[in-house]
Formats: sequence, C-alpha cells, structure tokens
Amino acid sequence: MSAESTTIPADVHAHVDTDHIHGHEHHEQSWLEKYVFCQDHKTISKQFLITGIFWGIMGGLLSVLFRMQLGWPNDTFPFLESLLGKWAEGGKISNEFYLAMVTMHGTILVFFVLTGGLSGTFANLLIPYQVGARDMASGFINMLSYWFFFSASVVLFCSFFIQTGPASGGWTAYPPLNGLRDVAINKGSGLGFDLWALAMTLFIISSLTGVLNYVATVLILRTKGMTMMRLPLTIWAFMFTAVLGILSFPALLAGVTLLEFDRLLGTSFYLNNIVVNGHLLDYKGGSPILFQHLFWFLGHPEVYIIILPAMGIVSEVLSIHSRKPIFGYRAMVVSIMAIVIISFLVWAHHMFVTGLNPNLAAVFVLFTLLIAVPSAIKVFNWIGTIWKGSLRLNPPMLFAMGFVSMFISGGLTGLMLGNSPIDIQLHDTYFVVAHFHIVMGVAAFFGMFAGVYHWFPRFFGRFMNDTLGYIHFYVTLIGGYAIFFPMHFMTGLPRRYYTFANFETFNNFNFLTQFISVAAIVVFLAQLLFVVNFFYSIFKGRRVDVERTEDGYTYGNPWDATTLEWTAPIERIHGNWPGEIPSVSRWPYDYSVNGKPYIAQSTPLAPGEIEHK
Amino acid sequence: MVAFVTFALIVLFFTILVLIGKANELSEDLSGKGMNYDSKSKWNGYFLLGFIILFFISIVYQIKLLAPIMIPKSASYHGDETDRLFYVTLFFISIVFVLTQAALFYFGYRYNQGKNKEAYFYTHNNKLEVIWTVIPSIVLAVLVVMGMRTWFKIFDVESRDPNAMVVEVTGKQFQWMVRYPGLDGKFGKRIIDKEHITPTNELGIDFAGDPNSHDDFMADKLVFIKNKPVLVKLGAQDVLHSFYLPHFRVKMDCVPGIPTQFYFVPKYTTEEMREYLKTQPWWNTINPETGEPRWKTFKYELACTEVCGRSHYGMQKEVLVVKDSAEYMEWVKKQTPIYTPPAAATDSTASASAEGGSAGSGNGKAEAKDKKVMSELVGGTIHKSIK
Repeated sequence: MSAESTTIPADVHAHVDTDHIHGHEHHEQSWLEKYVFCQDHKTISKQFLITGIFWGIMGGLLSVLFRMQLGWPNDTFPFLESLLGKWAEGGKISNEFYLAMVTMHGTILVFFVLTGGLSGTFANLLIPYQVGARDMASGFINMLSYWFFFSASVVLFCSFFIQTGPASGGWTAYPPLNGLRDVAINKGSGLGFDLWALAMTLFIISSLTGVLNYVATVLILRTKGMTMMRLPLTIWAFMFTAVLGILSFPALLAGVTLLEFDRLLGTSFYLNNIVVNGHLLDYKGGSPILFQHLFWFLGHPEVYIIILPAMGIVSEVLSIHSRKPIFGYRAMVVSIMAIVIISFLVWAHHMFVTGLNPNLAAVFVLFTLLIAVPSAIKVFNWIGTIWKGSLRLNPPMLFAMGFVSMFISGGLTGLMLGNSPIDIQLHDTYFVVAHFHIVMGVAAFFGMFAGVYHWFPRFFGRFMNDTLGYIHFYVTLIGGYAIFFPMHFMTGLPRRYYTFANFETFNNFNFLTQFISVAAIVVFLAQLLFVVNFFYSIFKGRRVDVERTEDGYTYGNPWDATTLEWTAPIERIHGNWPGEIPSVSRWPYDYSVNGKPYIAQSTPLAPGEIEHK
Repeated sequence: MVAFVTFALIVLFFTILVLIGKANELSEDLSGKGMNYDSKSKWNGYFLLGFIILFFISIVYQIKLLAPIMIPKSASYHGDETDRLFYVTLFFISIVFVLTQAALFYFGYRYNQGKNKEAYFYTHNNKLEVIWTVIPSIVLAVLVVMGMRTWFKIFDVESRDPNAMVVEVTGKQFQWMVRYPGLDGKFGKRIIDKEHITPTNELGIDFAGDPNSHDDFMADKLVFIKNKPVLVKLGAQDVLHSFYLPHFRVKMDCVPGIPTQFYFVPKYTTEEMREYLKTQPWWNTINPETGEPRWKTFKYELACTEVCGRSHYGMQKEVLVVKDSAEYMEWVKKQTPIYTPPAAATDSTASASAEGGSAGSGNGKAEAKDKKVMSELVGGTIHKSIK
C-alpha cells in the first residue's frame, strides 16, 4: 500500500465527532468488516489484546487450580467437582488432570498470551504508528494472522472438553510420552495431543504471517526522514522479535509435524525400542533427543520472542516517564542484535542431562553465559536512564521499573542454570521454575502491563484508573516475589509433582507451598482487578485532554511523548493520519532538551541545532 | 454455597475498589490536579523505597527460615565441586543483585517528579558502556572456565575406575527396575527383540544364552559402598524418565532406545549422614508423622525428574550407602537371582521370571554355583578399587 493511494482528503472526515470510531475512506464498512474481518492494524491489535486477556485469565485460573492441589494436597474442595466434573471427583483434582493443567498453563501463557497477546498487540499497534505508515505492509495477511490465532485458540479451547482431556505431557511435548497415541500410557496423549498439535500448527502460521508483515513494514514503510537509527527502541525490539520468529518457528513446525507422523502414520522419527507392558513395539531407529533439539531450537529463541517486545516497551516507557533520553541508545540497539544472534546458539542448555554428548555442553555453556552480557548492558542502561530523571511514577512507569527488577532477579539465576555442572542438580526442579517464571513470566507481564497502561489512551482515548493501577502494581510486585522468590530455596525439588508425600527428601516444605498458593490466589485476583479496570476504563475512564484542530480531528499527547503515534488523531481512522504522514527529522528521545519538556520527532531541527545521537 | 458467597464477596470487593478509584479520579479533577503526578510520584517514591528495604529484609528472613530445610550437603565427591561452583556463582550474582536492585528503587525514590523537577539530559557514555561490558565478561569467563573444568572432570571417561561398581537402572511407568550383576560382577546380556522381551522378562535378559545372567538380581533399593565408584547404566522402557539422586547431585535422563550413564563416588554412608544431620538444629526437630527427630529417619532417595505420566511423582526408591564391601556382600547374599534353574522351577517351560523392581519375592531360591569362590573374587575387586 503506497502512501499516495491512501492519502485521505481532509474534507471526507469533516463530520466526525470525538467519540465516533471512524471507518473507511469512501464507503461505510459493514459491521463485519469493521470489527471482525478487519484489516486495520489498530483493530487487529485490539483483537489480539482481548484474546490475550481471555487466555491470560484462563492460564492464571489453571495455575490457581493446580496451586490448590499443591498447597493443600490432603484436602478436598467440593466446588472443584462442580467446575471440573470427573477431573476432580470428590473435590480433589486427579493426578492426570493436574498434569494436563500444568501442560496447558505453559502452552497458553508462553504462546497464546506472551507471544500472541504481547507481540500481536503491541507490534500491530505501534509499528505502523511509530514508523509513520498508513498500515501494515499487507493488511490482508495481517488479518489472516489474527484469524489463524483465533482458530488456534478455538482448537486449544475445545481440547478441554473431550473425553480424554487436553494434552498432558508437558508444554514441551517430549516424545515418547506424547509420541505414542496410546491413552493407556497417558490420557492426554490421545486426541488431546492431536488438538494441541493442530492448535500449535495454526498458531505458528499465525505467528509467521504476522512477523513477516512486521519486518516488511519496518523495512519499507518508514516515513520520510525515519532512518533506522531514528527508530524508537520498541520498533527495534519488535523487528528483531519478528526475525527470531521467522527463523525459529519453522523448526517447531517441522518437529511437531514429524511427531504427528510418528503418532498417526507409524513412522519412527523419535521412537526406538519402546517396551510397553513387556511388549516390544515396532518402532525402530528414531531418537527422542532429536525432538528436543527441534523443540528447543524454537524453544530458546521463544523466550526472547517473549522478552524482547517487553524490553522495547520498557525502554520507551522508562525514557518517556523519566523525561530523559534512553541511556546509550546505540548500545541498546546493538545489545538487541547480540541477543538475537546468540539466542540461536544456546538451545541445548535445556538438555545438559538428557544424554547429550557432554563435549557439546561446552559450546552451549559458553554462549549461554555470554548472552548475559548484552542483557546486563540493557539493565545498566535502564538504570542509567532513570538516574537523574524526573520520574513520573504512574502505573506504566512503575510496571516498567518492576520489569527491570524482575528481569534482574530472574536473569541472574540463569548464570547458575546455564553452567552445566550446576545444572545437574537444578535441572527440572523448582529452582528452574523460579528462574523462568520471574525472568520471562512475571517480567514479560510487567512489560505488557506497562504497555497497556501507557498506550491505553492511544487505544481508547481514555486513561485507565490510576488508583486501581497502583493497587494492581504493588500486589503484583510483592505477590510475584512472594510466589517465586522462596522457590529458590526449594532447590532440588522436582517440578510437575502432584504431591511430595512419597518422598521424605522433598516433604519438608508444606508450609511454604501453602504460602505460595495463597500468594498465587491473591495475585490472580489482582489481575482480575486489572481486567475490570481495563473494561471499565474503555467506557468510563478519564478522557485524554484533546485539542480540536481545523481538520475536524482531535489530537492529544497525554504523556508528552516524542514519537509519531501521538501526532495521529485520537479518532482511529483508516490510514492513521488524515493528511500527509508527518516526516521525521530527529531521534525519538529528545526529552528535557533545549529548555523544552520534549521535542516531537516530527519537529524540524531548529536553525543551528545539531541532532543528538 | 460457600463458593457462591466467596464469589459474591469478591464481586463486592471489586466494586468497592472501582468506586474508590473513580472517586479518587473525580476528586483529583475537581481539585484541578488532574494529570499532575507530583504528589502521586512522591508517595510512590516512598513506597518504592519501603519495598526494597522490606524485600532485602525478607530475603534475610527467608534464608534464616528456609536454608536449614534445604536438601543437605552433597553426599558425593563431584557434588562438593558443583555445590562450590553454585556458591561461587551465588557470591557474584548477590553483589550484582543487591547493587542493581538498590540503585533501581533508590533512584525511583530519589528522582521522583515530586522531589526532582528537572531531568538531566544525558544521552550516553561510551566509557561506561565499555566498563559494564568488560567487567561482566571477565566474571563470566571465569565462571565458564571453572564450570567446564568441573564438567569434564565429571564426564571424563578416561580417568574412570575400570573396577567401578556397575548398576543398571531402567525406568518404566511408574517404577524403577534396579538390576545388580550378582556375585560374578557381570551382567547377563540383554537382547532387544520380540522373542526375548516378554511380560515376564521385560528387560529381555538372555537367560538361555548367557550364564552371566544367572545370578543377576533385581533389588528393591539401590545400595552403594562408601568411596567405591559407581557407574549407573541407565535406560527406559516406555517413555523418558530421569534418574535423580538429590543428595548425590546426580541426574541423568533415561531414554528409550538410547543408553545413558552417570559415574560418581559416594562420600558418606547413610549412617554418617545421619550423624552429621544430628548436629543440625532443624534436623533435631520432631517429625510429626513419625514422632521422632528428623535425622533418625533420614534416608537417601531416588526420584524421577522427567515428566513421565500421571504417577510421575510416585517413582521413589530408597538408596542406601554402606560402609564397606563386607556389608555390601552381606546384602547381596540376601538377594534372590532373577533366574530360576529349570530343575527347580515348577513350570519347566518358564526359564525365567523378572519381578519388575522388586526382589525377594521370587520363588525357587537356587544357590549360585560356587558362591564362595565368586564372592571372594568380587570382594577382592571391590577392595582393590577403594580409593
């Protein structure tokens, strides 16, 4: 879509009022085109966000349910039977369904919330706005991306309601547990896993169609003057996230497809000499470890697919609300690139004790610890950014600071897990659970919340409620640490255990698991408060202060930010800007400079002014 | 009913919170403060400062409360080294953790908008970037070198004792099958085909073709000898399992169709570990389930750490470390071989019976030929190889 063809004459829109969400330029769009099969990046962004919120509640609810089992393994809760039926007979969650919930919790949060919900929302909203484009390179493919995501969601959701239950062999889907379509071995490995694999396939298609668009848009649709080194860090982060997705998701697609071949067609890619109940099955010559390679070749970049967008959002939010330029812009860009490259060379650190050749470990330990360097650079630069700032401590800023805190806490323990001899003891224990939940679970959520609170005015022309935002922040910060920090002391206790009662070695932490469960329930309620705040504020939130200009549109820049999304009218119109797209003549971080609170990117350089870099 | 009341209370609570939030917003608008964050930033500055102080205090409290309950010191030699590496890393990351968290939250307090009106335009400092790139790189390089030295020591096949005690452990849903080579010190061969693998001989041991198999026995627990190297040969029948000895810092996946192994040397007998734990205050508290001090019932355990299905959490086995080969031989003599000689068997066609993981329940206890000679031979090997 070239800029000329979509330039909209100003008079067409003369009649719009502030509250009216305006549609297309020439003909009135039908309801279906406007809200359902919509090709506009802003609507697609909202669709991703709301689907993501739905999955967020689901994933959180599952964790609350299995935390009840872990916290009170000897008690029964009758309401669970009303909720889950045969999966919780007598009010006690069955051990099979416990594993199914753990599996779905992981799948939902990693892929459907923190990849689809986070990247899908903010890359869609911000890429066209911030690079100065009318829309994504292909609106149609962008729409497909959402609807593939939606279909994946429907399939995954349906898998909860089948006889044998949803997939239950772990979100990592390791064969042979998930490779044998035999419900006697594992109930969830029947139809439940087929649906999981179908959902993941649809999800990967969604992800790939989405990210191709992101890269294309950033590379070719930047407005006049928007050089790469004038891009906000959000855009750098989204673009490199997309590059990671393009290069790594196909590996998982291949891995899952071969797994389905084993399951449905009787091939032996991952199976060899399986003995079930004393009977040797016919599979010969495959290797379960091959699947682990394919899985983690996506799986590890995937954690950066989750965290990079959060990092981009946090960089932007910290700078805006500190009223200070981001510290070390170039170092930030270079460190993103370094993370992207190195993240492809660390995957086998998930496999140190799987029977991998020990000599291989050396390479992966080296790169795993090396990737800490760009991560450390980013942390130091964030702290440098808030140093001597004038911090506007509103909910987005607090969540951005919370992100940095969580990223530090969780990232540092990665140095232990990444070092193979230490990992022998820590692998697949609660120490790992603590590590990755803090560094990519809670942290990524903090980044996402920072983004939602910050860009809510851009979405809806209103603010979210501050008081509820503050409550949400402090409960989540304290609660997040209350859940996951003590887990570091549960070093050596295996993950995915239904109960520790069978082991004297592991059975000493009952009071702690109860404490963690209580904290998890409180944190979950705080997230519901966020959801209430979100939907309440769409309709009743405080309005953004706006200025009506002669073109009939209203404009507002509630946070005094420099980037282009705030130069577009509050009314969300197709094509984003009613007139010409603003051109750019400076970097996005001119805050508190030349005696002004900020200078927008679209403001030309004053005579004699030198561009800051 | 309880669920309904709880639900209603939550809805009520949320409604109240939303009303409070809206009321605050309206009062701000009325007082003209609107979007001015000066006083809110000031308050939140104090909250952030309070949070970080409380967080640090809570960490100290958590260490006091939880560290004594953690899995005790390593009971193997390589475990000492991996633990040391853990604490060396912990030392470095604690410094970084305290400094960065303190800076982050202190800056949040010190430079909040209510306190600091003017931001300082400062874009970058290349010298600083170099410093905070190089210093972490050096520390990480040190950690990598230390880590790799330990790692290759653990997995160095060349330096292993050829006379190490060999135990074969096979995982299946949901139990461990532990096979010892018996008095001759040699395992009977296993043949993986449909003829040999049967419900009564799940491992496919070649009883007919390999006489070494005749004194192999399945044990109900793992028994090791203090200071005697152990090579655990690992396998799995149906799905992935993971052989995990938490006290020995040993973990290795059991993969169907691919053999894996782990070599280590036990350092303390079960008795010695109990004696050590007796000196630890927490281990002297009474365990409400047994009514005895905790150290008294301490035992080493084997667990599964790769999710393997619904009863994953139940794959437990006891591990016993005895003080010398004499004690070990005493235990071995009490075990029953899997193999039942045809003459003694009630059913002459069945030449073997495998009791998946539970020894001692077999019938037809045939004495191994020339047990005395064999035991001396094996005993000699064990004796010689003790370091």
